[in-house]
Amino acid sequence: MTRTIELKPLTRVEGHGIVRVYLDGNRVENVELSLCESPRLFEALLVGKSYREVPEIICRICSICSTVHRLTSLAAIEQAFGIEVSPATLLHRELILNGGQIASHALHLFCLVLPDLFGVAGFTELAEVAPDELKLGLRIKGAGNLIQETIGGRTIHPVTLIPGRMGKYASPNALQLLHDTLAPLLPKAKEVCAIFAAVRPLSPPVAPLSPLALQGKNVPYLFGDILEMAGENSAAVADYRKLIREEYVSHSNAKTCTAAGKVVTVGAQARLSFTPGLSPAASVELAAHRERLASADIRGNNLAQAIELLHAIERSLDVIALLASTPSAPEEPRDFVPHQGTGTAAMEAPRGTLIHSYGFDSRGICTTADVITPTAINQAAMERDLLALGRGMDGADEAELMHQMEMLVRAYDPCISCAVHLVRQDERRGE
Amino acid sequence: MKKPNVAIAGLTACFGCQLTLLDCENELAAMADRFTFAYFPMGVTTRTIEGDFDAAFVEGAVSTPEDLEMLVHLRSRSRLLIALGTCARWGGIAGLKNNEPRLPLAETVYGGDAHHIDTFNPGPLHRFVSVDAAIVGCPPEKPDIIATLAALLAGTLPVFTAYPVCMECRERENLCLLIERNKLCLGPLIQSGCGARCPAAGMVCEGCRGPAAETNSVAQETLLREKGFTRDEIASRMRRFSWEWDHDQDH
Repeated sequence: MTRTIELKPLTRVEGHGIVRVYLDGNRVENVELSLCESPRLFEALLVGKSYREVPEIICRICSICSTVHRLTSLAAIEQAFGIEVSPATLLHRELILNGGQIASHALHLFCLVLPDLFGVAGFTELAEVAPDELKLGLRIKGAGNLIQETIGGRTIHPVTLIPGRMGKYASPNALQLLHDTLAPLLPKAKEVCAIFAAVRPLSPPVAPLSPLALQGKNVPYLFGDILEMAGENSAAVADYRKLIREEYVSHSNAKTCTAAGKVVTVGAQARLSFTPGLSPAASVELAAHRERLASADIRGNNLAQAIELLHAIERSLDVIALLASTPSAPEEPRDFVPHQGTGTAAMEAPRGTLIHSYGFDSRGICTTADVITPTAINQAAMERDLLALGRGMDGADEAELMHQMEMLVRAYDPCISCAVHLVRQDERRGE
Repeated sequence: MKKPNVAIAGLTACFGCQLTLLDCENELAAMADRFTFAYFPMGVTTRTIEGDFDAAFVEGAVSTPEDLEMLVHLRSRSRLLIALGTCARWGGIAGLKNNEPRLPLAETVYGGDAHHIDTFNPGPLHRFVSVDAAIVGCPPEKPDIIATLAALLAGTLPVFTAYPVCMECRERENLCLLIERNKLCLGPLIQSGCGARCPAAGMVCEGCRGPAAETNSVAQETLLREKGFTRDEIASRMRRFSWEWDHDQDH
């Protein structure tokens, strides 16, 4: 006799998702992860729009990742038109990317994951049982948001990030304020690593990761032009279609992805499994936990995010110092003429590798658009792990099983509003 | 006084309005203290809608049968229903091609699998249910959310300004991007309350808060046409967040 139990909706994640567990007696037969966010058809919305409008529209795909979506779309547009941006613009972009990383990781770790560690339902109860930890998390999150607001003009859906340059440079006073806000957080971020290093999963392990992350030569962490997989498979970002395949599955509005035929995982833990050039303090933390992270299943991702949080704060302080020491005369708009062409770019979003690819006609009007998000890439691994966990917990109490499953999905830090609609554009159109 | 029971839910949206609430880092503990977040899946593990609400904040446009079901459910359980953000109030970015049929759009993304996707043109909440108040913006401004919560504690609803972004922009003595830089700035037409955030950062108003109550959009369009912008460019920008805006029919 088969029956189905559901986690509906998945909570403390961004977006709408459902986990369905099919049981035969007490044995888990199958598990489906359904990313049931309403389709918003973003790629279709972009077709016919000017390249100027593309970043402004596409960042609305997702709030938590709006900055990195906007940055990735700029990089793809600039590649299509052969635009080189100034070192000062690149530094501003790196700073805001780190700001987004800080805000997103702090939100995930403290508002979404921490309630599990204290056995409560959400931030509302954390305010009672763990006020100091919540306060620390919100302070770090606020600092990340301050970076985004200072550099981007707005925390969510930043406005100053435009093709070819920065719409506005940070003033010396603003940079000083950012420095003063972030510097005291550096020792606090080490405490965050300690909090999440102390956590051990209470349910059986599932498979270790097959990581995929962006790599590149002489580029800062989170940037790159090679999609790197453990082992021999890797591809230039421009050739992402040769590496990553998508497939529509009927129970989900996001297509599932495989890379070189394998189920892969992206995100903080995947990034740290390569040899990342982290900041000094974060390198020390990584060295202390490297072996554990390498053998851990996805539940090592929370600790990996804590280490990245430390890196992002330390690196932001460096970039702020670099910007403060560079005279920042307002930049004149660079002359560029839009022309027919295609551009593909990737960046590491807080939850993993993000790829944008566009085609433009001779007037700079978007003819094709394709976005692959980290959560779409992770979907297959999430389903695989859920099934393994369900089988590993054979005969467990139903409520406990569902609780452990939700925590497992949460460790991936899924961003479902990103993932749905982020499926490829039909190539017959516009090509 | 009993803590007000609040629901916060998202329909077709980016979750940015709910994130703006969670971004109120300095006020979050006070909110947890003064309200019961009885349904708020993004922030709290609550899976069922039980009991009645004093207020339901709904983010996003309505574009699927599930969206509509959730909206009707919340409306029937809540004394007040508050549209949270531009998608809920105006339809928002997801509706920017509502002048085109939905299936071909879905086919652009999902190819031959598009017929599996149950979706209709995204619409604002008020097309389906009565709405008691609206907070606009993509994303909304934190003070608007905090003011609304504070008003609920006082047993009322907030009053927002009715004049356009231009008023706030002049007050801040920003350079006028429309007149002095000949840029496609929508400040004269758009609902204020953001403190002219974008023009203050040197960027044009992209219209994310939707039309203000009384504006002269025909004059604005004439001005933009004189400056050399095409009708298509102007329409694309004006309808980005509120596709139903009959901007060339205004008086």
